[in-house]
Amino acid sequence: MLKKQERAAQSGWWYRWWPILIVLIGGLAVLGVAHDDQLYQTPILKIQSTQVVSQEKQSDQFQNEDQQITQKLHGTITNGQYQGRRLTVPNTYMRSQSTTQGFHTGQKIFLTLHHQKGKLSATVSDYKRDVALAFTAWLAVSLLLVLMRFSGLMALVSVIVNGVLFWLAVSWNTTTQGGIVLVIFGGLAVAFAALTLLIVIGFNQQMLMTLLATVGGTAISILIALAVFSVTHEKGVYYESMQYVTQLPRPLFLAETILGSLGAVMDESTDIIASLMALKTEKPDISAKQLFASGRQIGGEIMGPLVNVLFFIFVADTLPLAVLYLKNANSWGYTFNMTMNLGVIQSLISGIGIVLTIPLACGITSLMMGGKFSWGRLRR
Amino acid sequence: MGTITALGLLLLIAMVVVGGGQGLQAWLSLLFNFGALFFAMVLMAFHFSPVLVTLITGVMVLAMTIFLGGNDSNSTLVAFYASIIVLLLLVVMIIPVEHWAQIQGFGQEDSEDLEGMSTVLGINYLDIAISTAILSTLGAIAEAAIAIAAGLAEILAQHPKIPLKNLQRAGFKVGSQIIGTTFNTLFFGFFGGFLALFIWFAGVHYSLGQILNDKILVGEVLMVLFSMTAVIITIPLTTWATVTWERQTRQHALKLKNEDTKK
Repeated sequence: MLKKQERAAQSGWWYRWWPILIVLIGGLAVLGVAHDDQLYQTPILKIQSTQVVSQEKQSDQFQNEDQQITQKLHGTITNGQYQGRRLTVPNTYMRSQSTTQGFHTGQKIFLTLHHQKGKLSATVSDYKRDVALAFTAWLAVSLLLVLMRFSGLMALVSVIVNGVLFWLAVSWNTTTQGGIVLVIFGGLAVAFAALTLLIVIGFNQQMLMTLLATVGGTAISILIALAVFSVTHEKGVYYESMQYVTQLPRPLFLAETILGSLGAVMDESTDIIASLMALKTEKPDISAKQLFASGRQIGGEIMGPLVNVLFFIFVADTLPLAVLYLKNANSWGYTFNMTMNLGVIQSLISGIGIVLTIPLACGITSLMMGGKFSWGRLRR
Repeated sequence: MGTITALGLLLLIAMVVVGGGQGLQAWLSLLFNFGALFFAMVLMAFHFSPVLVTLITGVMVLAMTIFLGGNDSNSTLVAFYASIIVLLLLVVMIIPVEHWAQIQGFGQEDSEDLEGMSTVLGINYLDIAISTAILSTLGAIAEAAIAIAAGLAEILAQHPKIPLKNLQRAGFKVGSQIIGTTFNTLFFGFFGGFLALFIWFAGVHYSLGQILNDKILVGEVLMVLFSMTAVIITIPLTTWATVTWERQTRQHALKLKNEDTKK
């Protein structure tokens, strides 16, 4: 990063055009992904024409009606030992496409090949999605760099660093068979917060105060959640509705909640403490009490929107499953319990963390910065 | 008492103690948003057009979150207008990308959840996927719009005669301050929620190619990218909305003044 800044200072041209340059390089990379078939060991078929073989009405015991369509996909294999071979693949799908999928000309699909008496046949195994993913990532990063320039780059760097750390933690968790998932992700939450704040703020007193408020706020919310769980005996917590569980669900759920609320709590304490520091610079004689009051004011304004950010992230993606439950003639209550229940609980726990971080962040700042006998002054 | 009731009441108490009347508003907006989301879901199950239901729900949710969140009436109004434009732009982005990526419905990792369920549904799941993506960005749009509009309102309160060009620059400055931490809110929110899926991938030793083409993972990463894009375009659009608003206010004031002097 330093190098970039130095070079930027040296050359105005570079300073002006680096976002465009990265956008162009990224565009080339997306083009590369569009032609990466050779990198896959699974055979890929490029569909050149499709043909509907049959359509029939389907219905189930809940009076849902749908259409089952069988199609034939004609195309050419684009990679591996059968490259260039023309092949026809059958595909059956439901018009609603909830578990099956229809295809059309121009798409690329992964195949499972079968050899029967020297004849090559194949079935569809999956759809190739990497280009769409790469394109959308490129679009987002391009907008970020062109509009926000250096601060955008820093935001991107912190996301990438956190992503790498996250993946390392997941791998570590796998080697321990998930036995210490809370220790790993609890500990990593602290590392995540420290690293992110280092990138966003830099190493100074403000960063240490923000870190303390972030870790404290998240920890308090989890402790309160555990206390509530033990009082209510986890009545109405449906761990069995948790998706993709390969290890003990309860600690995994808590680890998810810690990570999920960490970002929002960090966001909030950064906001509050940065504003209070600015206030302190403007009015050096401000008292601890006044600092606390203005911090509460700032926090009160941002807590509502922040809780809602997490709520939509946690709960919106249960929509497909919830619609499926409703279409299977389940009651509203049962559908809620089996799909949105855990997301709502996570939002509430995070919400409590977000709210309680406000007095914590204000308290830390006013202790360190406010009044005549603050710790900050004593040290000087 | 159920766990959800207990946690909900605790949140209400905490919000009111810390934020007073504003805390109560924040709690109500959360309750309203839950109701709106649930109601939208029920309408979709009754075969109303998912994307249309989502757009109406989206506008209502943005209005409730922004008007119950902010204080200053002018800045919340500007934030609301800007957020509607952002929502529409995002819809224009999300619909083609979802058609391209084909992440609708359920993946092979979901098969355990689907056991014994009928998948004869008669509802286009591509529309449901588009709706899910739009809904998941609503909170991020509202939060970013409020942050920029409130930041600019404060600058305007301190320097009422600031040149519009400087006001625009100030908008981007506020944006550069929030973007790093907002990205982390989104990143941790999404990836924390999908920790179990990642553990699955690591445990079953998916190859990189499998992960990058996996229906559920691609769908989830697309949602993160949509939300991040939402925040990025909210910054210039809210700034632009504030500048336009301020320009009109000043022109109006100038006109009134001129009329006064004529008299």
